[in-house]
Amino acid sequence: MEKPITFSGGQYQPLEQKEIQRLHDSALSVLYNTGVRVDSEEAMAVFEKGGAIVDRNSNRVRFRPITIENALRNVPQGVTLFSRDGLHDLRLEKTNVYLGTGGAAPDVDDLDTEEERPATLKDVADFARLVDALENLHFYVRPCTASSEVPREYLGMNEFYAAISNTSKHVMGAACTVQDARNIIRLAEIIAGDSDALRKRPFISFITGLIISPLRFDPEPIAVLTEIVRSGIPVALSSAPMAGLTSPITLAGTLVQLHAEELSCITLAQMLAPGTPILYGGVPSMTDMHELDYVGGGVEFGLMNAAISQLSQHIDVPCFNSAGVTEAKIPDMQAVYEKTFAICQCVLSGSNCIHHVAGMLESLMKVNYAQMLIDNEIAGMAIRALRGIELDEDRLATDTIDAVGPGGSFIASKHTVKYMRTEFYEPFLADRHDYETWRHLRIKDIRKRAAREAKKILKQHRPMGIPPEIDRQIRSELKIYSRGSSQ
Amino acid sequence: MNKDDLIKTICDNVIQGRRTKDDEGIDDSLSGTPGVVELVGEALAAEVSVQSILKEGLSRGMDIVGKKFEANEYFIPDMLAAAEAVSAAMDVLEPHIMKAGLEPKGQFVIATVLGDHHDIGKNIVAVLLKGAGFQVIDLGTDVPADRIIEAANKNNAQQVGLSALLTTTMPEMKTTIEAFKKAGLREKVKVLIGGAPTSKEFAKEIGADAHCKDAFEAIAVAESHAGSR
Ligand code: B12
Repeated sequence: MEKPITFSGGQYQPLEQKEIQRLHDSALSVLYNTGVRVDSEEAMAVFEKGGAIVDRNSNRVRFRPITIENALRNVPQGVTLFSRDGLHDLRLEKTNVYLGTGGAAPDVDDLDTEEERPATLKDVADFARLVDALENLHFYVRPCTASSEVPREYLGMNEFYAAISNTSKHVMGAACTVQDARNIIRLAEIIAGDSDALRKRPFISFITGLIISPLRFDPEPIAVLTEIVRSGIPVALSSAPMAGLTSPITLAGTLVQLHAEELSCITLAQMLAPGTPILYGGVPSMTDMHELDYVGGGVEFGLMNAAISQLSQHIDVPCFNSAGVTEAKIPDMQAVYEKTFAICQCVLSGSNCIHHVAGMLESLMKVNYAQMLIDNEIAGMAIRALRGIELDEDRLATDTIDAVGPGGSFIASKHTVKYMRTEFYEPFLADRHDYETWRHLRIKDIRKRAAREAKKILKQHRPMGIPPEIDRQIRSELKIYSRGSSQ
Repeated sequence: MNKDDLIKTICDNVIQGRRTKDDEGIDDSLSGTPGVVELVGEALAAEVSVQSILKEGLSRGMDIVGKKFEANEYFIPDMLAAAEAVSAAMDVLEPHIMKAGLEPKGQFVIATVLGDHHDIGKNIVAVLLKGAGFQVIDLGTDVPADRIIEAANKNNAQQVGLSALLTTTMPEMKTTIEAFKKAGLREKVKVLIGGAPTSKEFAKEIGADAHCKDAFEAIAVAESHAGSR
């Protein structure tokens, strides 16, 4: 197996070490004093058996710090998100940074007509194919949902199928029901060969939203989680409070509550299956105080999501957070500056698994093909920023400076040839022509160029796909809605 | 304080969302001074007319709050605080309204429909209606049609307000209106609907009398209904 690609962050730290400790301690005190509400008898029983303090009159579960610490000790150090081709395995630990898509938007801007319409399985498949081809996106979470096309009990499985058929990169996704989770796992087993092969190199992982903020466990996802942990497939435990509405308005207060929510989710997962691989899924956002709408494009979003990365590093659990959200309705300037801010903040903070990075518009309600390519470019620049200024004897170039000498030119030097392909990030959409050349370009607007590139990739790029005989087996066992496999 | 100052101070305190002297207010310019509850008591003792307290104190304050909200100067929590201040003042004023021989503007039953638990918007509407002189019977959230009919009947309500924030609970508004028809009470009440996903077209489609985009429109519409009776 090839060495996993790694980019290491941690340069940006909105919280100081002692502040992280203070947030952590405050979260522990919330878990002891306030606790969480758990409207599931099964989960209350698990919590009780694991040593939590359970009050069945109010469905309230409280935790002593020792209970949380014991659970944290069982969390495996780092998680690998495997790829089907072995070329894109992602090692989630410390401050390694990977970026991917995500969002489950109900709508999409049609690539041909440019009109907004409900998203379909074909979109889930096409976006997967783009991600397969785009260098700066490392894993795939469906950016739109096919809920307009597929009934809920088969939705997650069909989204996984559309995704896996079109990318060999790691695929993450959600299961709507327990049966849906079983079907998804079965799908992955068939593709992997058998359950052992899947367990060894899980090329899929799950995202479950266990918590309805503030501090309330949702029964159905608990049942789904119980099913998932049996399979040994990694799972991101997501919680997404909105500061000012479902968590305190202050960034610190939201982080305290979210950290408490995450600690309780991690504790549940470890009580269900000690050692089960999990991700700390903190996705904090804000509330628009004029209309109470979701806000993900403000600079505080990046601040909080970067802090999430620090909080998860503090307890040594890989983190799953978000960047790339905007309130902009079209791929405009607002879209790119809001995205750029959060993507930089999260990347530089060393977030392990950043989703929502590419394509999303309208507060995650819509996805746009051209935007996905533009965001891939932002991601590429952010990763380059992360790499920083590499500094060694050869790169310091004193010999070359001496050889070229005052008044010379570096253009023909060997040193230039050696580094010119790697030292600069090579954009593939940005315009760097001089004015005259630009004036004669047929397509001047970057959105048009991005849409053209998207069409080109969709036409030309051939993903690994699912072999026909395996596809036949899948279709004979599971209810697949899309007709073709790869495309 | 003379009478005019009292009324103006009541108005200022509504704008600050201060119920009592313990409330800090939106900025702390009035903190430590009496809030609307104390001031309304003082005003009544000083024989300020109930009408001026209502109109020039509470309503005018809420009008200004509405303007500030439209101008993006005020946030939703500011509006909630102001509405709560008016509500607290109304509790003090209510017994005096009858005594003053003021005609109440009528009974208004309000509820969030079955299956829906959103009540922030409905509460603002309820409190402002109260402040405008309606007797508001608030049935809370997740209320089935039969309970709404029962309350309208029992209280002899002239108007019924329905709130829904989910596209999945909007049809319940139609169900409720149909149930009023079935019970033979549809002609007796005006039905107002509201909530973010609802619209004028939807109101027409389900046979409601009016749709209101916000609490301020709700008051205008409810008052026009009351006036035309
Ligand atoms: C706050 C909120 C919640 C809170 C509610 C707290 C509470 N006590 O009300 C909580 C967290 C509990 C919640 C839960 C859910 N919510 Co919610 N929620 C919201 C949110 C963010 C704000 C609503 C609000 O209060 N707005 C502010 C008030 C002031 O505005 P308003 O309600 O429109 O009211 C004004 C006017 O409409 C009018 N008006 C309102 N009512 C009436 C009535 C009359 C008679 C009149 C005349 C006028 C009138 O006057 C008001 C004042 O000006 C909206 C998103 C949004 N921005 O709209 C989502 C939203 C409504 N929720 C949504 C969803 C999906 C849910 C859940 C199903 C989520 C879940 N998976 O659990 C649950 C459903 C629970 C249930 N069965 O009801 C969706 C609905 C999607 C859809 N198409 O149906 C929304 C749109 C969010 C989204 N974009 O996904 N939610």
